[in-house]
Amino acid sequence: PRALLAAMLTDRTAAGAEVESLWRSSRSARCEAKSCQTGKISTTETAVQSHTSRDAGVQTEQSKDAVRDFQQEVQVDYASLLSFLQRVEAAVIKELNKNWRSHAFDGFEVNWIDQSETVLCLHNLSYPEARDQNLQVTSLSWNATGSVVACSYGRLDGGDRSTEKSYVCTWNLDRRGLNPQRPDLVVDVPSSVMCVAFHPSQPALIAGGLFSGELVVWDTSRTEDPVLWRTGMTSDTHTDPVYQVAWLPDAKRRNHHQLLSVSTDGKILLWREERDGRLALAEGFAVVAQQVPHSAQLKKLAWGDVAVGVTSLSFSHFDPRVFVVGVEGGYSLKCSMAAETPALHRTGSSVPLRAPVELTFSPHGGPVYSVSCSPFHNLFLSCGTDGRVHLHSMLQTQPLLSLQLAKKYLFCVRWSPVRPLVFAAASGEGNCNKCSCLTGDVHLFDFQKSSQKPALSIKQAMGDHPVYCVEFNSKQTRLLAAGDAAGAVRVWQLSSDFTEQGPRELNQLEQLASEITD
Amino acid sequence: GIPIRTTLDNSTTVHYAGLLHQLTMKARSTVRDIDPQNDLTFLRIRSKKHEIMIAPDKEYLLVVIQNPCE
Repeated sequence: PRALLAAMLTDRTAAGAEVESLWRSSRSARCEAKSCQTGKISTTETAVQSHTSRDAGVQTEQSKDAVRDFQQEVQVDYASLLSFLQRVEAAVIKELNKNWRSHAFDGFEVNWIDQSETVLCLHNLSYPEARDQNLQVTSLSWNATGSVVACSYGRLDGGDRSTEKSYVCTWNLDRRGLNPQRPDLVVDVPSSVMCVAFHPSQPALIAGGLFSGELVVWDTSRTEDPVLWRTGMTSDTHTDPVYQVAWLPDAKRRNHHQLLSVSTDGKILLWREERDGRLALAEGFAVVAQQVPHSAQLKKLAWGDVAVGVTSLSFSHFDPRVFVVGVEGGYSLKCSMAAETPALHRTGSSVPLRAPVELTFSPHGGPVYSVSCSPFHNLFLSCGTDGRVHLHSMLQTQPLLSLQLAKKYLFCVRWSPVRPLVFAAASGEGNCNKCSCLTGDVHLFDFQKSSQKPALSIKQAMGDHPVYCVEFNSKQTRLLAAGDAAGAVRVWQLSSDFTEQGPRELNQLEQLASEITD
Repeated sequence: GIPIRTTLDNSTTVHYAGLLHQLTMKARSTVRDIDPQNDLTFLRIRSKKHEIMIAPDKEYLLVVIQNPCE
């Protein structure tokens, strides 16, 4: 019995230890599984490379000298490198030759995402109160995340709209329970809003330019008073309606942006935010007819010392200081923020205005309403009341292509953010006899399919309401928003052939740019 | 892996070198996993825009990027 008890005691302590070790061993078993699946493989790799990670460190410093020197710092055994290259040379050359003669992949296309063949109208958004007042959609903007679309209501036809109440409405398209007749946010504005632009990185900030010449920035996340900054009516403010507003990264303060506004009073102004909710003038440019350079090919501008009304602006994606503006006289002008010459502008302002124009492009037959620089090449598009779209290279005055889209006015033109050969144009108004007019208001052009007529024309609504603005969504690349004179914003979903970049598209764009110049 | 010689710009080369080395090791272990007597001799990746060819070795990797004619 004693021997048994002794045996039992030892058994019990052993049992206790066994329980603990089970838990530990299962834990370590899990750890072992982890190391088997990922850790083991990656550790062997890093072990091999660990002595070379120092060199990688030198490269990430990004100083030119360090990067240039990396090839000399590595200890290479040239004899073994030579024998390796001699071993693989024959195989690689054979594969290269086979490949460029191969027809194995001709017509072979892989679809990673669902293909959709048609263009459909996803949403028809409007604000009933604005429609009752016969207000039109003057401008659209998508926010930084691509889920909210904002539109500004106002009137683009003539008359003094400075005291007419208008609205800025936003809809969040990703929200469940989206009511197309009830915007998520409505901002009452005492004057007609002519243009809006969302902040490029802060999804709640939106800037608007008013008929009175002021600029206002609203913060849509604040419920009580969304006004964040405003220029107010000072001697610096524009004296004419602001037709386009854009956010620019601030060169001096990182993560801060400045606002650029253009107006038909000829001034292009750069505003920065001050602490008391005011927007103060940081820099300014004035386009004066006398200072616009004209080449021998263009007619001499006979306007005298008159300010040239600026209607639209677009920044080059390749040089952040170069921008293109469209003016009422029908010219597109290439300007630079680095210009130094003072402008011959009469009215005084707190900051001296400079003359920015460097090159004058060949004119349209009427005022230019919209310009857009391509994100893929040094090209830009301009459109105006003559119903034509000009494709220009930044380097020469004559257009590469001049397309007669319709007998109607063209109000807006935009390049696609994903397909280098696609752009959209919005049209309406103008005398349209029942000739070979294009029906439809939003035209999508694809240079890959045809360089003469649009690939697709979308009819915005019944009736003959012009479409004033069109914007691609750069985050959700299938969406295109269009706002019309009936006060409605339609969000269209494009078919996949407008959203997927083809394999040689960039090359085709370059070819297009160079072959037409000859 | 560390780039020794390149005809591209340095940042692209470093980018390719890191990613392709890992992919080559994965491809090699896949081949040997299926049949331990087998080993990877050549790797080709065809994408919409071009074709990447990799000739592996014990110590070195040769990477060639080709634009195939359509």
